[in-house]
Amino acid sequence: MDLSQMNPAEQAHVNRIIEKKQMQDFLRMYSNLVEKCFTSCCNDFTSKALSSKEEQCVMNCTDKFLKHSERIGARFAEQNAEMMGGSGK
Amino acid sequence: MSFLGGGRGSVAPGTINQERVEMAMQELDMVTDVFNRLVSSCHTKCISTRYAEGDLNKGESVCIDRCVSKFFEVNKKVGEKLQAMGAGAAAGGGGGFGSAP
Repeated sequence: MDLSQMNPAEQAHVNRIIEKKQMQDFLRMYSNLVEKCFTSCCNDFTSKALSSKEEQCVMNCTDKFLKHSERIGARFAEQNAEMMGGSGK
Repeated sequence: MSFLGGGRGSVAPGTINQERVEMAMQELDMVTDVFNRLVSSCHTKCISTRYAEGDLNKGESVCIDRCVSKFFEVNKKVGEKLQAMGAGAAAGGGGGFGSAP
């Protein structure tokens, strides 16, 4: 996917689509994260409110996932760069 | 006059070549899909669900690096295998649904 090969009209079109996809992806990630953290952290239903332990667990869960995602993004970019560079074009 | 790749004929610079846009979108979708699967798989394999703290500890970090590396290797090997199978099938199947006019 090489944007430099496209004329400005196509680039604008593609960029608009990319923006929309990024938003959808973000929303999808958000719901996944909520479900994941809820499943791992909230197992005590003797009360309606979140206990402080559960709340701390959810905070940690969210932090950890975001850091995890960031690290994977960095490694992914490295691997991609290696793949592109290696196939020598 | 125009630098459009592949010389696809006289497309005016302001118009949108639907095919090329679609190909780019397909590639983007594939890359996004691989990334999402990677995040999900490596999270399941490397991150314990105790969530004792908000940062990645050293073990988890190292696990993530190795996980990404292995994932890509598996990706490559499976791709090669499928290609080989595809090539084999094409050669062996002969002109199953060949180019008969």
